[in-house]
Amino acid sequence: MKSFARMLYPYLIWIAIMILAPMLLIILYAFTKQGNSVLTLQFTLENFARFFSDSIFPNVLWRSLKIALITTVICILLGYPAAYFIAKLEGNRKSIMVLLITLPMWINMLVRTYAWRGILLNFPVSSEFKVFVGMVYNFIPFMILQIYTSLTKMDQSLLTAAEDLGANKVQTFLRVTLPLSMPGVISGITLVFLPAVSSFFIPKLLGGGDYVLVGNLIENYFISTGDWNFGSAISLIMAVIIMISMFITKKVDYENKGETRA
Amino acid sequence: MKNWIKLGLCGLMVVSLSGCGGSGKSDVDPQEVYGCSTLNVYNWGEYVGENVLSNFEKQYNVKINYSMFASNEEMYTKLLGGSQYDVLVPSDYMIERMIDENMLQPLDKSMIPNLANLADGVKGLSYDPDNTYSAPYFWGMVGIVYNKNNVDPADVESQGFDVLRNEKYKGHVFVYDSERDSFMMAFKALGYSMNTENEDEIQEAYQWLLDMDKKVDPSYVTDEVIDGMVTGEKDIAVVYSGDAAYILSENEDMAYWLPEEGTNLWSDAMVIPANAKCPKLANEFINYILTDDASYDNSSTVGYASSNKNVLEEMSAPGGEYDGNPAYLPRVGYAKDEVFKHNEVLKKILADLWIKVKNS
Repeated sequence: MKSFARMLYPYLIWIAIMILAPMLLIILYAFTKQGNSVLTLQFTLENFARFFSDSIFPNVLWRSLKIALITTVICILLGYPAAYFIAKLEGNRKSIMVLLITLPMWINMLVRTYAWRGILLNFPVSSEFKVFVGMVYNFIPFMILQIYTSLTKMDQSLLTAAEDLGANKVQTFLRVTLPLSMPGVISGITLVFLPAVSSFFIPKLLGGGDYVLVGNLIENYFISTGDWNFGSAISLIMAVIIMISMFITKKVDYENKGETRA
Repeated sequence: MKNWIKLGLCGLMVVSLSGCGGSGKSDVDPQEVYGCSTLNVYNWGEYVGENVLSNFEKQYNVKINYSMFASNEEMYTKLLGGSQYDVLVPSDYMIERMIDENMLQPLDKSMIPNLANLADGVKGLSYDPDNTYSAPYFWGMVGIVYNKNNVDPADVESQGFDVLRNEKYKGHVFVYDSERDSFMMAFKALGYSMNTENEDEIQEAYQWLLDMDKKVDPSYVTDEVIDGMVTGEKDIAVVYSGDAAYILSENEDMAYWLPEEGTNLWSDAMVIPANAKCPKLANEFINYILTDDASYDNSSTVGYASSNKNVLEEMSAPGGEYDGNPAYLPRVGYAKDEVFKHNEVLKKILADLWIKVKNS
């Protein structure tokens, strides 16, 4: 047993190098001043003050959260029925449908978004709408697959039992299928909301550049302005907000479980 | 097994643009002459001729590690992070900053006789008046490209950058998504220096940009502007002259105009960082880039104006590759054109204002 535990070490080292170290660097940058080498660190809260001193930055953050949230809701509304019907299909057809859902993901996201740019170019719709199209298109497979997996894992005899006890189709869905598929919906939300809130190339390519989200803000301060400290501060603020929203989601999930058990 | 390894290595070397097989290699041992045999070059993306690097490798029997950056700031931060390079190709204001911060070493001019090939207009620009630290690579302007069929040339020529506030062209305009280039247009349109620190002038330029955002609702783009104008997606765009030259050569409906109120004259130049491991070979490389052959290959592939006066002449002469292309040759000696100066405080202010313009 002990020797098995030792096999964990490479992973721990991997996590330390690939996840922990960059996170610590972001935190370090966020709390220090620009242009100083590591030897002469000057700690400051200036970057955070700058973020909240002007309504523009919180506004951009708020808009990103709003858009990510709407994207997630659309993905659930469109993705749930899709997953439901795929799960109901027979053997071969099921795997073909799943294949069709995953097929676009074989091509790089950036390339697909460029394609959408060409398709939507001459449509007289707002840039906001175009961004939504791009977001939902890119992230909906994650939602569908998560829900689909939890639906197929479901014990089918529960449905027969519900029917046996006199539940109609709607009741069976609302009181058996839906609660049992919630874990899939919750992980779907995580997988859609997280990349949606920090996405920067979808709004950049489809929103015509004047549609700034927090991801674009971060990219802008890192790449074009070269102000890594302020960029890190924005990243950190966003990370904290995402952590809070994930905590809330998990909590809702937990309470839901409690309810169904009762 | 050994053979497989050799083959693999060979493949790697091909990828890193080093010839394999040894044909045409010189017999010189670079280790002996230069003290090293690998040159680390850090340049802009899509900024080098097809055979420039491999020819140098063959000629000097060395290997080039070629990496690319997308912005001066990206390059600068990478250097601060401790990365070591032998040759960099930053822009004017960034070179000024690096000189100020003692990050560069002077060129060894005895090793670079080809500095004599430099075109007059790009020699001794304000960021490095005696070319002590830098040897220009490409240079150019920022100009307006417009579709002759949909835009009245008289509008562009009489209004200059102010055509970007002409409501007639609402929804048909590309503007470069960068605080520096956008504020440059605004300052120039208002008749101010683009290096101004005067707060009233900055505010006025900010209002100018807000007005532009409202009146023509531009698309803010970076490199997408090139494809966008080649395909005729929009009618007016503000672009770098090298990209303009390419757009004009691909789409004959497009015309080019340099605003009379002045614009940005820029130059990207080769420099050697203070911590370069192989400075001798770096000087040799800079000298090589300034030869007519290498400069021609660069300029012909990339489309930007060469810093080499012979190439510049050949390209724009009758029968040359850019004969009759008005965007290729930079405008020289025009007093209202300016070179960017490095100003960290100003940059921060403009960056925040630019975000506001885009979000208005």
